[in-house]
Amino acid sequence: MVEVLPRSRPGVEEGGRKTDQELEEARSREAEEETRGLSERAVDLARHFAGKIEVIPKVPVRTLKDFSYWYTPGIAEVSRQIHKDPELAFELTGRWNTIAIVTDGSRVLGLGDVGPEAALPVMEGKALLFKYLGGVDAFPIPIRTKDPAEIVATVQRLEPALGGVNLEDIASPKCFQILDDLQRSLSIPVWHDDQLGTAAATVAGLLNALELTGRKIWQTGIVLLGAGAANLATARLLKALNCDMGALTVVDHRGILHSEREDIDELMLRNRWKYELALTTNEARTQGGLKEALRGADVLIAASTPQPGMVKPDWISTMAPEAIVFSLANPDPEVWPHVARDAGAAIVATGRSDFPNQVNNSLIFPPVFRGILDAHAKGIPDVLALEAAQALARQAKVKGLTREHILPTMAEEGVFPEVAASVATKAVELGIARAKRTKEEFLQLAQSRMARPKELSRVLMKNGLLPPMPGQESD
Amino acid sequence: MGERNTMSDSKAARLIEEAAAGHKETAHRITVRPAQAEDVPALAGLLVRLKRLNEEFDPLLKVRMDAEAHATRVLETAVKDPKMLVLAGEGTGPDQGRVVGVVRAALRDRIFYTPEVEGVILDIYLLPAFRRKNVGEYLLAETVRILKEKGAGIVTAEFPAQNQIAARFYAKRGFRPLNATHAKII
Repeated sequence: MVEVLPRSRPGVEEGGRKTDQELEEARSREAEEETRGLSERAVDLARHFAGKIEVIPKVPVRTLKDFSYWYTPGIAEVSRQIHKDPELAFELTGRWNTIAIVTDGSRVLGLGDVGPEAALPVMEGKALLFKYLGGVDAFPIPIRTKDPAEIVATVQRLEPALGGVNLEDIASPKCFQILDDLQRSLSIPVWHDDQLGTAAATVAGLLNALELTGRKIWQTGIVLLGAGAANLATARLLKALNCDMGALTVVDHRGILHSEREDIDELMLRNRWKYELALTTNEARTQGGLKEALRGADVLIAASTPQPGMVKPDWISTMAPEAIVFSLANPDPEVWPHVARDAGAAIVATGRSDFPNQVNNSLIFPPVFRGILDAHAKGIPDVLALEAAQALARQAKVKGLTREHILPTMAEEGVFPEVAASVATKAVELGIARAKRTKEEFLQLAQSRMARPKELSRVLMKNGLLPPMPGQESD
Repeated sequence: MGERNTMSDSKAARLIEEAAAGHKETAHRITVRPAQAEDVPALAGLLVRLKRLNEEFDPLLKVRMDAEAHATRVLETAVKDPKMLVLAGEGTGPDQGRVVGVVRAALRDRIFYTPEVEGVILDIYLLPAFRRKNVGEYLLAETVRILKEKGAGIVTAEFPAQNQIAARFYAKRGFRPLNATHAKII
């Protein structure tokens, strides 16, 4: 769901309403052409630039003599001090701002299992986003193993170099075990963006949607469509938010999840996280499919592999008045916004930038990492992800909360340092911050650290040290 | 296919005591009673669920298409057989009257060894919503108690060798591996 490029809006809302089928056909033709154009250009650019990030010094080097501080002999004393107190690494080295983007390449974008080499360009892009949006030095580290235990062991061995870890594009359900094991065993924050980034952005939007429709989370009937990384993490955050889990219904490709479903024992063995949800959700033991689940529900959060017509407008019409519909699949949402609204939904969000209310993990991961890294945090418990969600929800109100603006857009840059400062301050409150500062101090740090890469880019482009885009007229 | 676990009389006695002590706590979750003929359809469904679970552990435990029909037949006979024990776990509260657990066990003569009568737990299954909170423990303890009443001096349990969950469940309650079944397709 990383999507920062603005997209041209398909002819959905203009002129007379077309039928759903016509719309979808037109949209998919457009999308195909658009994607083809972007793909060709991306390959050309990849060849031209051969990589998207590089390491540049952050200390002045006036003459080679300066290396006696940056390197031997002076550096030996820095090493000695860290040897005495390893925690000093967070103050005397760049560890505090360094993260690894780790993947096994098992679920890259919509491509599936393409392996670690093919994952590299994607991880480079993510590293660029981390730097440009968050000021974070992120190293793309695709690794050659699919074994969860080996992935865990590999990341554990990288810990001394890192202030944090971002797991990326690792298949579900093994991603759950890997995240749990690493969060438990490392004393730096470990985040899996496909789970927590998307979930926190979803919860942020949901909080505002609930407020706008006068609902309390503990009285709200929520339906999750899809039980992959994103929605299982959303369920996890909803639980942390005191949501009534018994009133939560999860629907996957086999229908409504419940404790007596045919595949329940298989889930116990193969997907413990989904199994737990089967036991704790759907207290009414509703059986059937999405149709049955939506009857009377307040909220639909769809984060699935969409099939055409999987969310029927008629079913949305059976939801409670003032229904909330999040249709997050990309590029084609499970249900198009105008279809959901015509069926009675009061608030609609998607994963796309060309509709109002974009649920975008790029709203979350840059400030979350800025915050935890500024606090030199020892971990990232779910309450911190929730704090980010709540801070983002608050920030949407700066521009004014409306049914078409439940989340800030990527253009509202001022919100990011605020979210980062909230996360850092919460880490201090929780006693997991190595660097204890006031919220005001964290805010200033985040503002300058998030502004710097953009300024650097601007200056380097201006004086030609960053080459221009080739064939710029086509951009 | 699978291992048998065993436990001594003294441990069985202690387990029964523990179960009796915990009986009040678990009483609101299920009640356990000897199965009747009218329970058979529900019990057969649970038995097939157990076999499907076993299938997850080993391809040699592939469940037959007609497993449910066979389960029904086997249970119909077993509920009337004095050498067999079939128990039904019934829900309580809103689930009263629903069969949510099953035990199928056999009394076997051990012609070479002592103790001379063995209670063999062939199948034990609880719907997931009724697991934990010591409900499974209670079901096992009831089974052991009744097998002992019927003359068993040793109790064993059969389950797939790869089922670590079952192995831990029994090990915690004093069982240890006794016989092993090794298999190959011929």
